[in-house]
Amino acid sequence: MVQSYKPVPPIWCPGCGDFSVLAAVKRAAADLKIPTHELVLVGGIGCSGSIHNFLEINGLHALHGRLLAQAVGVKLANPSLTVVAAGGDGDGYAIGMGHFMHAFKKNASILYIVMNNETYGLTKGQASPTSQLGFEGNVEPPFHSILTALSIPAPNFIARTFSGDPKTMTAILEEALRFNREGRGFAFVEDLSPCVTYNDTYKLWREKVTDVSKLPGYDPTDRKAMFRLCLEAIEGGRIPIGVMHRPKDGARDGLELKLVGEKLGPVRTDIRIESNLAAYQKLISGLA
Amino acid sequence: MTTPAARTTPISGEVGPSATAPSLELSDLSVMIGGQGGDGTLTVSDLLGRYFRKRGLYVYTSRNVLSRIRGGHADASVRASRDPISAVKSQVDVLVAFDNEAVEMGRAELAPHGFVLYDSTTFRADLPNSVGFPFATLVGGPLGQPIFKNTAAYGALSVLLGFDPTLTRSVIEERFKRRGGEALEKNLKALDIGRHVALEAPGVAGRFSVTEGDAHDLVLTTGNQAVALGFVVGGGRFFAGYPITPATEIMEYLQRYLPPFDGVVRQAEDELAAINMVIGAAYAGARAMTSTSGPGLSLMTEGIGHAGAAEIPVVVADCQRVGPSTGQPTRNEQSDLSHLANLGHGEYPRFLIAPADPEDAFGLTIQALNLAEKWRLPVILLLDQALCQNTTTSRRFNLSEVRIDRGKRITPESAGKLTQYKAYEVTEDGVSAVALPGTPGLWSEVTGNEHDEWGHVSVNVANRVRMMKKRMEKMVKAVHDLPSCRTFGPAGARVGFIGYGSTSGPIFEALHLLETQGVSARYLQARTLYPVPVHEIDPFLKGLDTAYVVEHNYTGQLLRLLRETMPWHHAKLRSILRYDGYSFRAPQIVSAVRGGT
Repeated sequence: MVQSYKPVPPIWCPGCGDFSVLAAVKRAAADLKIPTHELVLVGGIGCSGSIHNFLEINGLHALHGRLLAQAVGVKLANPSLTVVAAGGDGDGYAIGMGHFMHAFKKNASILYIVMNNETYGLTKGQASPTSQLGFEGNVEPPFHSILTALSIPAPNFIARTFSGDPKTMTAILEEALRFNREGRGFAFVEDLSPCVTYNDTYKLWREKVTDVSKLPGYDPTDRKAMFRLCLEAIEGGRIPIGVMHRPKDGARDGLELKLVGEKLGPVRTDIRIESNLAAYQKLISGLA
Repeated sequence: MTTPAARTTPISGEVGPSATAPSLELSDLSVMIGGQGGDGTLTVSDLLGRYFRKRGLYVYTSRNVLSRIRGGHADASVRASRDPISAVKSQVDVLVAFDNEAVEMGRAELAPHGFVLYDSTTFRADLPNSVGFPFATLVGGPLGQPIFKNTAAYGALSVLLGFDPTLTRSVIEERFKRRGGEALEKNLKALDIGRHVALEAPGVAGRFSVTEGDAHDLVLTTGNQAVALGFVVGGGRFFAGYPITPATEIMEYLQRYLPPFDGVVRQAEDELAAINMVIGAAYAGARAMTSTSGPGLSLMTEGIGHAGAAEIPVVVADCQRVGPSTGQPTRNEQSDLSHLANLGHGEYPRFLIAPADPEDAFGLTIQALNLAEKWRLPVILLLDQALCQNTTTSRRFNLSEVRIDRGKRITPESAGKLTQYKAYEVTEDGVSAVALPGTPGLWSEVTGNEHDEWGHVSVNVANRVRMMKKRMEKMVKAVHDLPSCRTFGPAGARVGFIGYGSTSGPIFEALHLLETQGVSARYLQARTLYPVPVHEIDPFLKGLDTAYVVEHNYTGQLLRLLRETMPWHHAKLRSILRYDGYSFRAPQIVSAVRGGT
């Protein structure tokens, strides 16, 4: 065995919701028997974005807000890797919003976990895009990632979990990773992960979370129905959790399959001159 | 529908030559074609370029278009010569004008023997030595659309310049065969219409003739196409970019070239995504590149710094244009150098390499890919609009000289023999061997946080110093691995020039012009700009009394960089600058020297 990077103890405060995600990622990877060397975790900036430091995994620490672009780059370059991007709500919904929206459209088979605590914890409690009205003087309405995700007509897997329910979270992450590994496309899982220091919402969220699968009319293959269900729950003061979208036909729609398919792709293809000489000569002879 | 006979009558200038006048033979010819965007001036330029190539001539074409799809003045110029050229000629021999604005803009550059051929459909040029034919009307009737007027103008031009009719026609066939039957047929008809009216008009046929050349084994291409081809041949397999003038063609060529080689090309949502997708792909182990211009480069700056800190090999092609801000997207400038040499917050190693022509761009793109992987850092290919978009004859790209060097790599086989794997192991040359994600039996942490050899986040004081040295000293250790400068001109000369990129063409011509005036001068073409190749430029400067740094910007960015790194040469370095968006013409450089020595 080659001695590789050794995980360090998490920097998180005791009780942080991110511990549940760390445990669930470990468990899901083990249950699915994903070899460590084939797993890449692209981390964002912020408390949650340091999760790769605490795992035996290929960690790629991205720039603030750019983890999705880097994760898509990894996946398209080598589709045989299992790629997870993980960061916070500020990283994903503020500075990284452009890439967030486009990740659904692109539909590369990567898993994106957003640990949403409705604040910027690492910089000590400023309002974030998901902060409630009044939090730290916030006067802007909170952003709802699930509604945005459902508004983009792409065959993505969309779900929300709660750190207070790690068992369901593990099951959902396993489903999301299976979705990716079958080449079906982008999986987005937002975890409600309370910041015990700057925005301790465990009690409040435990009261308000609502399992969408228990609601009348639940059908995760019906985007319109799910949008209405979630919007009504939010307007009714509830927090919907569970699987919000799951394409019904099982199509392998991942971007990497459209671009690379069954070929080797950019990393594994043979780039030696001698292997490509005839094709290169043909390409260059096309010049006038 | 027949064209009214009256409209086909040519409108001749006052000093129209008689049909028997001897033709003026040119061995260095410049044709300027002007009109509104959408008039097809670039097509005429392309057709002429192809014809001249068939006659064994060196060709240089440039364009001057506005950043809009249609409308606005647009002109193109084609120069053909028996001798090697890579610059615009200072005087125009023949002006082809589709509107009066083109006449007004072009006449100032017209040579004393110059001639104007124009479309008289909507105006009459009040000029001696001119002839007008109503091309739009002439083709509009039989072909149904006036858009073929440009091909008709090419036909008339072919008569004026004494072209071989068979070769003239084969150029049209070659150019339009891919568009299919109807387009080809109509263009051939338009060609005949244009030829016919010109042959009928007095004093047009054979007014000029163009010498045949012997430059046959060459290609006609642009810097952008050369970069795209170099990327493919250099093993580049992942490209992400965002459309931006004048870099877009690199992405467009790669969209055609890369897929058959298992490559991936993505148009990203912005330049932030483009550079970060490239970082992800390069981390995974693909040879990866993006291309951009000033505004995009500014957005990519954070990502390039990240690649420097995390030691991820990326290549960025910067096609410089007039800045700052949106500036003039279609015009030439070399004003990103200072930004690139000092790129970003914090300090990290980077190489800036600058090709001068398409063949050089092909080779240096391959070298950029090698250097990035070998030294595990960002490499910037510094280009400029004229190099990127002007077409020029270039030596054929030589595949036998191409080498792929992937640096220190841990293969799946060699991984089994390791006892440990540290992504940032400190080594003699500062480069750590890399094991790609997916290598069985090991994993790693790659980060832009300051880190120890394992990739652990570290604020340890000694480690910070060690890691800074590991990264920064690559710029010292790699010096002899970087593209070397090229020098031209007699060794004993006391006057010299320093430049890079597209200014090389006019500088070469200036050397010849100066020589005819009895002034002996040398030229150092810089191909690595950062780290400044002091070991090459210092000896060059030592032999000179005066060195002119020729560049397209206001502040003398290269001059300042040279003075900063070689203060002992401060006094002999002088600037020749141009920042009006146009490229240098050789006489401008000559007169700057003649006025200054």
